[in-house]
Amino acid sequence: MSASRRLDALLEAGVGFVAGVPCSYLKKLFAGCAELPAGCFLPAVREDHAVAACAGAWLGGRRAMAAMQNSGLGYCLEVLTSLHLMYRIPLPMVVSDRGAPTDYEEHRILGQSTRRLLDLFGIPWREARPGAHEAESRWLIEASEHERTPAVLLVGKEADV
Amino acid sequence: MTRAVAVTLALSLLGEGDIVVAADGAISREAYRARDRRRSFYILGSMGQVASIALGLAMTRPERIVALDGDGNLLMGFGGLAMVGGVKPANLYHLVLDNGCYATTGGQPALSRVVDLAAAAVGAGYLWGRRCLSDEHVRAAMESWLAAKGPALLDLVVDAEEPDPAPRVPMTPEEMAERVRAALTGN
Repeated sequence: MSASRRLDALLEAGVGFVAGVPCSYLKKLFAGCAELPAGCFLPAVREDHAVAACAGAWLGGRRAMAAMQNSGLGYCLEVLTSLHLMYRIPLPMVVSDRGAPTDYEEHRILGQSTRRLLDLFGIPWREARPGAHEAESRWLIEASEHERTPAVLLVGKEADV
Repeated sequence: MTRAVAVTLALSLLGEGDIVVAADGAISREAYRARDRRRSFYILGSMGQVASIALGLAMTRPERIVALDGDGNLLMGFGGLAMVGGVKPANLYHLVLDNGCYATTGGQPALSRVVDLAAAAVGAGYLWGRRCLSDEHVRAAMESWLAAKGPALLDLVVDAEEPDPAPRVPMTPEEMAERVRAALTGN
């Protein structure tokens, strides 16, 4: 058992490598990642580097997952399109769901465009709910591997279990 | 020395088990032409991600990972140096084919003419970093680099001009990824 039930469920679903940049909405998930064995968690300096490292880990034979704030999707677009989508490399992603009208200004523009952005590139996504982390973890792995694509689980603050 | 000759020499020093990650553009094409291998991954696009992709492999594989990078490419993804230096994978060997410019787009000068990439790597935490300026010492420099304790970065200064450009790699991206993964995992 780690500090995050969601991370435990993702590990149970087969995730063997995580790279990411923290978000305050994903505190529990990142606390769990910090406890993973050596070689299983990469604290990335920016989100594009995180997803690129995941591609390398997938080539190496691991189920590799990225975790980040939704603002990081902007940095990731070039790599998601010209690496994961073009080479057909699966990538489960746990992305915080920031940008509600009550959230801080810096989160609103990209936050409120996140779903349209994912739709534009044909990346499947789902909103996480508290208590549904086991089924959501299975969906995330299946959605990314079946179509060999990035797939995104959007996690609000209340769903960081 | 031309970049293509340097790539050919580097590949000739590697063993069958080594895994190669080749930068997008000319470096991938030259690596394919010089010595295609099932354990070579050719990047198309994703400029700046050579070190990050190599790091993902280095963290998940026991074999030696050899990243063939460009100077402009490394500068675009400079944060990748910090990740490698921070994680310190002993099996990551980073070669920068440094022509001091963006050759593919017309030879526009790059900041590698003033930024010391080997010193930056050591500052980031690589255990070995050297710059090689002279043609006659290239082979010895590569041998020292591959014998060093990793992560190790060799910044190799090469010609800006390439008299014999290599053609594109005749594989689909999906084939490129599948082949490497299959070679490493056996399925």
